[in-house]
Amino acid sequence: MKNKRQFRKRDILYLLPMWLLSLILPDPLPHLKKEFRKRDLFYLVALLLLPLLRPDSHFNYIMILAGIYAILAVGLSLFLGYAGQISLGHGAFFGIGAYTTAILTTRCTFPTLAAFGASAVAAAIMAYLVGKPILKLKGYFLALATLGFGEIFLVVVKEWDGLTNGVIGIFDIPWFSMAGFTFDTYLKQYYLVWGVLTGLVLFSKNLVRSKMGRAFLAVASSEDAAASIGINVATLKLEVFVLSAVFAGFAGSLFSCIMSIANPEAFGLNLSTLIVMMVVLGGMGNLYGPVAGAIFLTWLTDMLGKYQEYSLPVYGVILILLLLFFPDGVGTRLGTRFVYLISYWPKKKRRDEVRS
Amino acid sequence: MTLLDVKEITKEYDGVRALDQVSLVVQKGTIKGLIGPNGAGKSTLFHLISGMERPSSGGISFDGMDLTTLETDAIAALGVGRTFQTIQTFGNMTVVENVMAGMHLRLKGGLLSCGLGLPWNRRAEKEALREAKEILEFLGLLGRWEWPSSQLSYAEQKMMELGRALAMKPRLLLLDEPGAGLTPQEMRLLEERILRLKERGMTFFLVEHHMAMVMGLADEIAVLHNGQLIAEGAPEAVKADSKVIEAYLPSGSSGKSNGERGCSK
Repeated sequence: MKNKRQFRKRDILYLLPMWLLSLILPDPLPHLKKEFRKRDLFYLVALLLLPLLRPDSHFNYIMILAGIYAILAVGLSLFLGYAGQISLGHGAFFGIGAYTTAILTTRCTFPTLAAFGASAVAAAIMAYLVGKPILKLKGYFLALATLGFGEIFLVVVKEWDGLTNGVIGIFDIPWFSMAGFTFDTYLKQYYLVWGVLTGLVLFSKNLVRSKMGRAFLAVASSEDAAASIGINVATLKLEVFVLSAVFAGFAGSLFSCIMSIANPEAFGLNLSTLIVMMVVLGGMGNLYGPVAGAIFLTWLTDMLGKYQEYSLPVYGVILILLLLFFPDGVGTRLGTRFVYLISYWPKKKRRDEVRS
Repeated sequence: MTLLDVKEITKEYDGVRALDQVSLVVQKGTIKGLIGPNGAGKSTLFHLISGMERPSSGGISFDGMDLTTLETDAIAALGVGRTFQTIQTFGNMTVVENVMAGMHLRLKGGLLSCGLGLPWNRRAEKEALREAKEILEFLGLLGRWEWPSSQLSYAEQKMMELGRALAMKPRLLLLDEPGAGLTPQEMRLLEERILRLKERGMTFFLVEHHMAMVMGLADEIAVLHNGQLIAEGAPEAVKADSKVIEAYLPSGSSGKSNGERGCSK
């Protein structure tokens, strides 16, 4: 009798954190589950309430930045986490998006919404032109080629004074406005950024659960086998690359509207590696992970802001530790472990009961 | 009716002749076996047919279409499915997704329509899931449809790979050593399933080391030895052919001179 009561106490102790964890941790088999689950609802409600619960402008600013990076990370997650290709030049597509918006709104007086679309188109065209030749490369070679592209973009931006105003950058980019509504406070911008992100995550979710998602994973797993079932590997890689550049273009456009400045500092190798880290941290082959990774790393960057000089070594150490202990990402690994744990736990309980 | 027609195909790797003027045909609705000692060029021939490598000379036509200039995915689109000698499954997907991946060409929709989750896309997806489960049921894997595919045993992964190829609804299925690594019981099940598929009108071309299996299954057998076709015909005739016996059981000087390693299985 006494034994049973002890078990019940422990049950409650375990159940609460486990239930909370089940809301937060990613699904172990995310490509198949179709229903809109309670976890999605939890995320959505948390997202909507977060700025209202903590009406602190610095916190909101960090969350806006995290949202923008999350858009980038979700886009790269399709390319890196699903299709298994590496890109160290995504900062450049972010930059192309930002500069397209900056130039179109300040020089040509485009409405911001039109510039928002144009940024994505510009990034897509650039990705198509760059991706066509370099996506034949694999692994380290692809990493190097994309890295080179990112650096070339940076040099072009710095030197082309007439168009980009060189290292100084373009100022006074107007707030994002839509149908007469201007997003001029942090709170409004928070909802704008996270709204766009929600839309893009839903799009990606549909995508990875369709035949295209299976094709991405197939290419990541075995290109020979993917070709043998009729997937055109080269075209598919190019499509994913362009798609992730479109995401980066959207993010860049939002960034320049919200910061109201576009200068080359923001789009360098630092950013590109940061996005890769967000994806790796959150987990390969899942979509919520990169968002969590983006929030965590943006927050960490802010914390380490005082020690700017030391931030690079800290990132380096984090990245090495991640690749050593969580090669498929913290989120994905923890999710799998968690499933083993809950399938093990009731069995253990039953075993204990039989024993006693 | 001739479905696959291989004409005087030659493949050279840096001076080594893997295949030398090999010609053979596969008739529609039959099972053709391809045997030969290790290194005879069987897998090379499969790679050439499925477009993973290009022949040095000669031609391959499938239902009147020339395959030698087409890419692998275009050949798959024509209806040539294949499995691999060393299994190439998609370990990052579940079992049923592996099979559904085989339906890539039959499912419509591109990046945009899939991403927007259009209703007809969702319906097709449901239909694909149902069909994939039917295939898994046929292969005896339905109980594991939600498993991560990397958790399956070797034999089960081989079955799943076959299921992926079946999901393409191919007109010709190339099986590269389907029986390798299976227990006798699993092999009997596989034979049974291949025969049932043949009844449904599917054409097979299979490389196999296991003699009992290939003799029982095939309507016609071709024998490769050192890149050359040395015999072709009904199983009994091939079994009795003196050249084939010579190739498998090299006796005296002839065995040493061609440096043959012999049959390993």
